[in-house]
Amino acid sequence: MDSLHAIGFYVSAALSVAGGLSLAFLESRRRRGAALGVVGLGVAGMYASLSAGLAGAMALLCYAVIALLMARRDYRAVELPVDERWRQVAGVGAAVLLGVLAYAAYRGSFAHATFYGGPIGTAAIGRLLLSHDALATEAIAALVLAALVGTAAGWRRERPREERPREQPERRR
Amino acid sequence: MTADLVSVLFVASGLVAVGAFVTAWRRELTSALAGVPVMLAGAGTAFAGISRFASREGAQLIGQEMAVLLAIVALAAVALGVGLAGREGSR
Repeated sequence: MDSLHAIGFYVSAALSVAGGLSLAFLESRRRRGAALGVVGLGVAGMYASLSAGLAGAMALLCYAVIALLMARRDYRAVELPVDERWRQVAGVGAAVLLGVLAYAAYRGSFAHATFYGGPIGTAAIGRLLLSHDALATEAIAALVLAALVGTAAGWRRERPREERPREQPERRR
Repeated sequence: MTADLVSVLFVASGLVAVGAFVTAWRRELTSALAGVPVMLAGAGTAFAGISRFASREGAQLIGQEMAVLLAIVALAAVALGVGLAGREGSR
């Protein structure tokens, strides 16, 4: 990786990590949506600097939609009764997770794996998605369909009583 | 300045840990849900980095494919979570 791509990678990584961290502390929904947009921008930049342009474009699109969803005002706020002590334990657990993953990244010998997959490009990834890994693509498509159906079912709003059309009384003969 | 596989995996592990922290730290359900796409972004970054640096010859498609699928799964998870939380004033 040349110097320009490396700078792009590190700037994008800083953007995505900063956006992710700010998600934990921002209170406004709109700001949290903007922070998720920053995460998406950073992730897309990292993918682009790793020569994964199609993945970057898809990530940018998906995270923009996620940011728009999270920035909405009209979904219900569901407060979970979580003890303060457990939140602190979870924070320490996240730090331990970071330590374990960073240690695995530093000590692991991943660089010796090999893959020979033919020429790179959007068409090649599309062929892979729709031929070699069609079952995984179908599974993801089914998951997305189930998620959208569940979203539509959960999002339906019961019409308030005063807005319903008045029922006609039955006539007696 | 250069970036190698170890630095990509460091960033990926940082994203996964940050997502786990957000999910654990927020009390509100939909705010906690915002950590899930961050964790999946970390996983996708690891896949893309492995596919970029681990192949000696030829192309690196499997990791990019997995990164695409993980982004779509993140979108589906957030959409389902927001939908299940429901609209304000609906019940």
